[in-house]
Amino acid sequence: MKRIQLTKKQWLGNGIVLLCVVLVIGTVWALTKRPSKHWSAQSAHQTIVVGVDDTYVPMGFRNAHGQLVGFDVDLARAAFKQMGLKPKFQVIDWSMKETELRTGHIDVIWNGYTMTAERKRAVLFSKPYHEDKLVLLTMKRGSVKQIKDMAHKRLGVQTGSSSLQMYNDRPTVLKHTVKKPVVQYDSYDKALNDLQVGRLDAVLISRDYAHYYVKQEARPTDFRIVETAFPKEQYGVGMRKTDRRLQAKLNQALEQVAANGEANRIAKKYFGHSNVQ
Amino acid sequence: MDYLLQILPSLLEGLKMTIGIFGLTLLGALPLGVLVAMGLRSDIQLLRWLMNLYISVMRGTPLLLQIVFVYYGLSMANIATLPRFEAALVTFILNYAAYFAEIFRGGLQAIPKGQYAGAKVLGLTRWQTMRYVILPQVVKVVMPSVGNEVINLVKDSSLVYVIGIGDLMRAGNIAAARDVSLVPYLLVGLLYLMLTVLVTAGMRHIETRLNYYR
Repeated sequence: MKRIQLTKKQWLGNGIVLLCVVLVIGTVWALTKRPSKHWSAQSAHQTIVVGVDDTYVPMGFRNAHGQLVGFDVDLARAAFKQMGLKPKFQVIDWSMKETELRTGHIDVIWNGYTMTAERKRAVLFSKPYHEDKLVLLTMKRGSVKQIKDMAHKRLGVQTGSSSLQMYNDRPTVLKHTVKKPVVQYDSYDKALNDLQVGRLDAVLISRDYAHYYVKQEARPTDFRIVETAFPKEQYGVGMRKTDRRLQAKLNQALEQVAANGEANRIAKKYFGHSNVQ
Repeated sequence: MDYLLQILPSLLEGLKMTIGIFGLTLLGALPLGVLVAMGLRSDIQLLRWLMNLYISVMRGTPLLLQIVFVYYGLSMANIATLPRFEAALVTFILNYAAYFAEIFRGGLQAIPKGQYAGAKVLGLTRWQTMRYVILPQVVKVVMPSVGNEVINLVKDSSLVYVIGIGDLMRAGNIAAARDVSLVPYLLVGLLYLMLTVLVTAGMRHIETRLNYYR
């Protein structure tokens, strides 16, 4: 074995590097020990950061001019106006929403956020502001006219969505009929493409989304909507567990926009019918 | 055609962000890569070992994971809360510097030992040897490999979607989801292609300019 002979210069160099490493590790360690700051500054700054996914039509998306619009975006603007707060919309990746909330990068999640038992454990919910039902979207030329026609058919759903969770949690409604594994998509436009070219037989989707997507298609009459027996889904605004005061004020504001007809007006604009609460 | 013109402004807005990340990353990663490559060949064992560790980590984990870690991980561990764009930039620079460093190390190793000896005999200092003898040759050797990485960077920049930065790819996603159509993706692909063709032409130009001995 070769013995390592260090020159004076090398000793010095190694020493400096070691010192730097120790300093960096020490600083990082000290930083993690420092008390974390809390995010109760909404009322002080008069602004609130709303996390939205701007690819999520028709709840939050960008119109042809690049402006952020959608049912949730318009409703959030109306509600925070009641509260005297200025909403600042922050675009996030949907899979990271709870992390964004916990790290304080956003103050609320407001983007077609379905209230589920699992999510209730992680975040604080406002009262539900919108209700929807899951339906099957199929093609008229296909053979699916009711749930029991779905035996051994190919079904598409959105990854990480509450509809997928519902599908798995209540297997008697649809899963036991389909029997095959579902195909997961990161957004509904891709699932609809596959439905049209025949790679899928049906897509499990909320009724309001289905209406929006069908309206965008060149021949909307080619599609059929099949009712399901899944229970209704409720949409709520997600907040940090500690923001109880914000929750109380937001619930009040949501009641106000529902009472003065604002919520209905926005719902008509995006869903074509008044808001169901 | 009307439709293309209608979505083009939002895509160009995204393209600006993509070019911004691309340019600033190159600006930071190239010099840092040179420094790390020198560290790799240093006489100081601890420094060499540290640089090797850095390169192993950066090349051995997915870039997407690194972005998530720098942006969410650091703020969750209460170390530093970086703004979105800066977090993406720091990660890209650290990641690409590791790849560049390995390319530069290869370039440095391609220079025969005799040249160092020759320069010493001529009475050049270490710095002069580096500046006038070694580096001009290294630059020529590494240019094609650097070009490869630069083009990779153009396309890797789309990974910033995970922290919600609106780059070209996201602009395409938005238009595709809104209009339920694949046309926006076609246009996005075309824009990426144009960008890489431009970068390739630029790299070729630099290579011919450097080719002054042939």
